[in-house]
Amino acid sequence: MFALTLLRQLLGTGLALWALVSAIFLLSHRDPTGPETWLLPDLAERAGPLRTARAEQEVARQAVRERLGLNLPLFYTGRVAQPTGRSRWRWIGSHNQYHQWLMTLVQGDLGRSIRTGEPVGARLAGALRYTLPLMSLALLVAATAALGLGVRLAATPRWWHPPVRTLLVAVQSIPLLLLALALLRLLALFDEGDGYALGWNWVFSFGLPLVSLVLVALPELTLQLEAGLRLQLQTGYAATARAKGVGEEALLWHHALPNALAPSISQLTEMLPALVSGALVVEVVYGLPGVGRLLAEAAALRDYPVLIAGVLLAGAARLGALLLADGLYRWADPRLRWHRATA
Amino acid sequence: MFFLNRVCPYATAVIAAAFLLLAANSCTAPASPPVAIRIRWAHDPESLDPLELPNPQAVEGVNLLHGTLLQLDYERRTFEPALAVSLPLEQRVGDSLTLFAFQLRPQVSWDDGQPVTSRDVEFTLKLLACPTLPYEAARSRYGFIQAVQLDPTDSRRFTLICTGHAPTYRQAAGTLPILPEARLDPQGRLRRFSLAQLYRGQTDTALTAFAQAYQTAKGSGPGGTIPGCGPYELMSWQKDARLVFRRKANWWADQVKQPGAAVLQARPSVLEFRILPDDASAALALERGEVEVYPQMPARLFARLRQSPAASRRLAFHTASSFDIVTAIFNTQRPMLADALTRQALSQLFDASQLQKATQLDEGQRTVGLICPADRTNYNDSLPLVAFDPAGAGAMLRRAGWRHSPAGWIRAAPAGISRARQALRLALRYRAGDAMYETIALQFAAAARQLGIPIELLPTEPTNFSELIKQGSFDVCIRSIKGNPFSYNFTPLLHSRAIGESNLSRFSSPACDRLVEAIAEADASPRRARLLRQFQGLFQEQAPLVPLFLVPTRLAASKQLAGVRACDLKPGYVVTALYRVDTKAATDKP
Repeated sequence: MFALTLLRQLLGTGLALWALVSAIFLLSHRDPTGPETWLLPDLAERAGPLRTARAEQEVARQAVRERLGLNLPLFYTGRVAQPTGRSRWRWIGSHNQYHQWLMTLVQGDLGRSIRTGEPVGARLAGALRYTLPLMSLALLVAATAALGLGVRLAATPRWWHPPVRTLLVAVQSIPLLLLALALLRLLALFDEGDGYALGWNWVFSFGLPLVSLVLVALPELTLQLEAGLRLQLQTGYAATARAKGVGEEALLWHHALPNALAPSISQLTEMLPALVSGALVVEVVYGLPGVGRLLAEAAALRDYPVLIAGVLLAGAARLGALLLADGLYRWADPRLRWHRATA
Repeated sequence: MFFLNRVCPYATAVIAAAFLLLAANSCTAPASPPVAIRIRWAHDPESLDPLELPNPQAVEGVNLLHGTLLQLDYERRTFEPALAVSLPLEQRVGDSLTLFAFQLRPQVSWDDGQPVTSRDVEFTLKLLACPTLPYEAARSRYGFIQAVQLDPTDSRRFTLICTGHAPTYRQAAGTLPILPEARLDPQGRLRRFSLAQLYRGQTDTALTAFAQAYQTAKGSGPGGTIPGCGPYELMSWQKDARLVFRRKANWWADQVKQPGAAVLQARPSVLEFRILPDDASAALALERGEVEVYPQMPARLFARLRQSPAASRRLAFHTASSFDIVTAIFNTQRPMLADALTRQALSQLFDASQLQKATQLDEGQRTVGLICPADRTNYNDSLPLVAFDPAGAGAMLRRAGWRHSPAGWIRAAPAGISRARQALRLALRYRAGDAMYETIALQFAAAARQLGIPIELLPTEPTNFSELIKQGSFDVCIRSIKGNPFSYNFTPLLHSRAIGESNLSRFSSPACDRLVEAIAEADASPRRARLLRQFQGLFQEQAPLVPLFLVPTRLAASKQLAGVRACDLKPGYVVTALYRVDTKAATDKP
């Protein structure tokens, strides 16, 4: 039964992903600025006389379009000019750009970058080498710290709880860009210019981005978990457990936490697509060559094969995260397992 | 939950401890002085193929790896012989052909010691013409070279045969990079084809096989680079992060005795280019010594660092003029902007002096036309700069037939226009996300609205901006124009044949066409100076474009570096002239 549900979900996920990237592929061809406009030098950069330059420019544009396969019809159907001068919709067949792109994609080939001619898969893999470790570690540290801190804050009130809560709310209100720049600035001042020579460069290239990402994720996760735990501690089953002599620690970890975890699981799985799509702001501020920067630059420079591959990856991660969330809910809440088994 | 209960309170502490341990290890690592000279780049070069050159960083990188026949002397602003022994002999054959006779230096050789010959020049031209390779941009740049004539008696002499004549041919031919035939086409497959055959675009199985072999040979170098005869080799290339170039120990030019020559020099032993896309982060990197040279620095950051005592102790600040002119462009095909008087009136609504102060912090220069005032021979200094004068603009609009009414400025349409009346309302397009263009747009809009002219501001995404202004989708637009100090060819900018391409103002006038054609064909001479002065007069009178100011070049560099000088030509400094002051003997070649 579970396998069938999983298969149905995977099929739905795959279809949604195919629809998403197909839409982007087809929409990208509506862009009026084709690659031939920015791959070729401007007329002003040509050395020859103007009277021949325009015709030569047109020939060059045609050559670019042919090389990139942009001279083919876009889709299986399209408007075809008739000898009468009118155009009408006709079936074109499989000799079209979409079909060729889809066939190469099915074979696992993400194509080549229009700007550099590099294989998109290799380009994306190179960027993932930076993004995956950074984002995974940031998520791991933030989730672990949030779990520890959230449970501590929900336990018996202590003197340090209010200032820590205030600090978390304050950090949550700071935009990531400001936070990252402030950290960089503080360390630059502290460093007084000798940091690079002292071998502190690793701090700038990995430590500070990690701290920025953890600081951004930590308040949200902690405050949510604490609120959930406090709510659970006020319920009837918590009062019964206390009456039966269950200690506060055991009540928190064994009884309240499983019931308070559901919203946190949603939060965590929402963050999972960022593992592959990167954190653009942090990558730009710290000059990291991650996926976020790669995709942002591909979008700005109209490098659609790279952009589509990035969307495909992020979309797959998003849909995978939804599947994971579903699985985690079942793990955390036995009622879901029981309900589905008896349904 | 048991697992979480046990593990979580300690996991954070363990991760933190590991982090601190790493920090401690890094801090106690023996400090070694960095050898490389570290320079900030805003973008990755994307490709170091000398026949692609997708962006300015690629040009800079390629210049380190590859040799060209002529090389730019940034100080003299002239092209000097590099691979060539001297400037080429130029010979015209009627109006149809121009011949450039080059001779390669006897010392010029590849890294394996083999000499660079005219066969390599011919191969490079055939390579870029090969229809199975993605070199359409290079074909556009060098397509004017229709054949190479090799000297049968001297393998270092050759003649480039060029179609027609243009003063820019010598410079363009001189910047052709030379690639090794023996390395990239060891079987000599391209020798079977003439340059003309390749340009005709005929595809052949041999050409397809060559293209595959070439891509394989090209991809074998670090970062897919092609071996060159330039002073540096690429050591590593982390995409979007850094590139490291190392000076060749046996660079052929070390044998060329040229005391004081600005070309053919390569002083730094290692160059590291750090790619930092964010300006503020790059400035912080400069402050903490992570980068030592920050070229093309934005005005605000430059001023902030210059005023900071801590930064001033460690950094030197350099400025120079440039040939980039910020201009407002009128769409002269719009009926309301078709007459010169209306354009002149609107020109007076740009407060160029205050804009220069606000955006360039009083650096830069104003100009009457498209020629830099520093070019005293050709600059028409008898013309006045366009002054900010809203009252004068109103009076001039009235002279142009406009009448100010409660509905705005209106006038009767000239004969042949379908509408009876014209209303003066302008759509102002500019590049979004750039404070300089935004400031100019807002100042003009404020001045125009005060005069009763409605302005629609159209901030546009950069790629769309270029395409939309090419299509003429604007009334007024603001953009920078790159000047060229080596030739005065205004035909792409103002000739009627370039409308829809690079003539963004869509200005068309037979007199202007004749004048810009004459200037483009004239060599440096008193006649050209006269024509250029005449052109500046015509330009100001017709006002299809309003030159606002020249943007300066700003450069900040560590005081530990010598040979730093801001140049008016891109990239704004001479990278091969840099060397470290304190460790010069140990790290850099004299």
